[in-house]
Amino acid sequence: MGTFILRRILILIPMLVAISFLIYLGLELTPGDAVSHMIPPDVANTLSAEDLEALREQLGLNQPFLLRFWIWLTNVLQGNFGHSLEAGVAIKDIFLDRLPATLELSGFAILFSTIIGCFLGTISALRRGSATDNSLTVVGMLGVSIPEFFFGLVALSFFALHLEWLPVGGRLMPGYDSFWDRAPHLVLPVLVLSLMMTAGVMRYSRAAMLDALSREYIRTARAKGLPGWRVNLLHGLRTALTPVVVLIGFRLPALIGGSVIIELVFQWPGLGNEFIAAVRGQDYPLVMMIALFSVLAMLLASLIIDVLTALIDPRVRLE
Amino acid sequence: MSDAALNRRFDRLRVLEETGKLKSRSRSRAVSKLMNNRLAVVGLCLFTIILLASLFAPLLTGYDPLRIDLRGRLQPPSWQHWFGTDMTGRDVFSRVLYGGRISILVGLGSALIAAVIGVGIGCYAGYKGGWLDAFVLRTSEVFMAFPQIILVLLLVSILGQSLINLIIIFVITGWGPMYRLTRARMLSLREEEYVQALQSFGVSTFKICYKHILPNALGPIMVNITLTTAMFILAEAGLSFLGLGVPLQIPTWGNILNAAQDLRVLQNYWWIWLPVGTVISLFVISVNFIGDGLRDSTDPSQQG
Repeated sequence: MGTFILRRILILIPMLVAISFLIYLGLELTPGDAVSHMIPPDVANTLSAEDLEALREQLGLNQPFLLRFWIWLTNVLQGNFGHSLEAGVAIKDIFLDRLPATLELSGFAILFSTIIGCFLGTISALRRGSATDNSLTVVGMLGVSIPEFFFGLVALSFFALHLEWLPVGGRLMPGYDSFWDRAPHLVLPVLVLSLMMTAGVMRYSRAAMLDALSREYIRTARAKGLPGWRVNLLHGLRTALTPVVVLIGFRLPALIGGSVIIELVFQWPGLGNEFIAAVRGQDYPLVMMIALFSVLAMLLASLIIDVLTALIDPRVRLE
Repeated sequence: MSDAALNRRFDRLRVLEETGKLKSRSRSRAVSKLMNNRLAVVGLCLFTIILLASLFAPLLTGYDPLRIDLRGRLQPPSWQHWFGTDMTGRDVFSRVLYGGRISILVGLGSALIAAVIGVGIGCYAGYKGGWLDAFVLRTSEVFMAFPQIILVLLLVSILGQSLINLIIIFVITGWGPMYRLTRARMLSLREEEYVQALQSFGVSTFKICYKHILPNALGPIMVNITLTTAMFILAEAGLSFLGLGVPLQIPTWGNILNAAQDLRVLQNYWWIWLPVGTVISLFVISVNFIGDGLRDSTDPSQQG
């Protein structure tokens, strides 16, 4: 298992280097002086032209391209992501400020969608061809077809504007200090996001469960006279879980990428909202770093998937 | 039925088969299977209706989707304006029809271009293998390492907003999965015996790839094209809703929905955003139904 994990990590490294190189290339090619995003602008404004030149020399900005890339990379690895152009804030601080909100929203959504999706998918597979199965299939299709932001708008206009049960948006208001204060703000975006994600999990777990139930060992287990629930849950669901884990793993990057538009609809102050604002304001350093960060999350997720599938399904380890 | 009678029947069938009279029926098996799938037929009907309504927009509505009429602002649906009018008095129904043209063009067009590129390279590289395959595979992995929406927005910020740029961006994000799908099919198909036979006859590599193997891989590719179309139409709507997709002056489904970012519109003027959102949903559902039906009819192992 140890060598398996190590091998997976080693595979990731060239990928990471290639992507960070592209991101750095993007940073160099887009407008904006490199000095301005490597040091805080208010400091930069107080400097004379000679000082700036000296600073360039000191930061290594006059070095050849590959060396500049290396300096930037070591900076990033040490947690120095540079500064945003717009507000001049350190990008690291923006991450620390916005990430909890995004993780809170998507974390709940992933949790709920996984539980509901696996449950419905399993039921659908066990009652294959029944009215329940057919209607769940159609509902699942609706779930992947309705634009998530449109569903969000409908929910927003109905529950928040029409019935006035829930707040319209936002997350932290003055005087909020515990989780329960902001829980009402969380309900609608989490509801919308998890329903949208449920459809995918459901379709996937249904297919996985059907596949598992058609195997020979299931027939053997039934022939042995094991009770139906034991066959379905212990023999069927366990094998069906492998692809579902893969799916959840693929959803993990959705912790950052999946909620981008929903965050805007509900004015949720997360990383996705920040990303949209950065794209609109052409704040290239911020755009690039959030993109890099999301890639990191995605690659990390793929690593976790590999390890988890290897844990559940020993055959994977032998490949 | 006696054995003799059965034998006679089989003989008759065999004669039909050998004279080629059964062929036309067996060729359309995929089509007839698709037609037996109720959801796929519903999807096809919806798809055709929305597509034709957009194509023949000038026949269905007399209103110019761009004509501003400040005196007739924010009118609720009526016989004159089926979907009412928007903030600047433009007829929403005609905007939905004309918007459909651009939205469908972007979705279907980018999916087709992405397929041509992905399948074109995937077919040859998957068959030949070697450094070309390894290089393209790594490149596609780099693009697929980004969450889709992040990559799209990143490219929007670099390339800027325009209709052509949006199609380019979708193609950049969409060719990778197509490439990998085609490549995976080629890897298994190139081991078939008929390929060895063709090779031993000295048929050129290009011909083997594109003329003899590719048609056998088309089923899953078609399914993927439909699903990618659905994905791109959703993506265009989302991006334009953010104001980062097609420039706002061009009517598209997403751009019409853009007005709903304003809470006053959301609360008071439902006709501006609800019908167009429903149309997008219906269209994407129809495409997904067709895709699912295609999958069932072309790939029996995937049925469930």
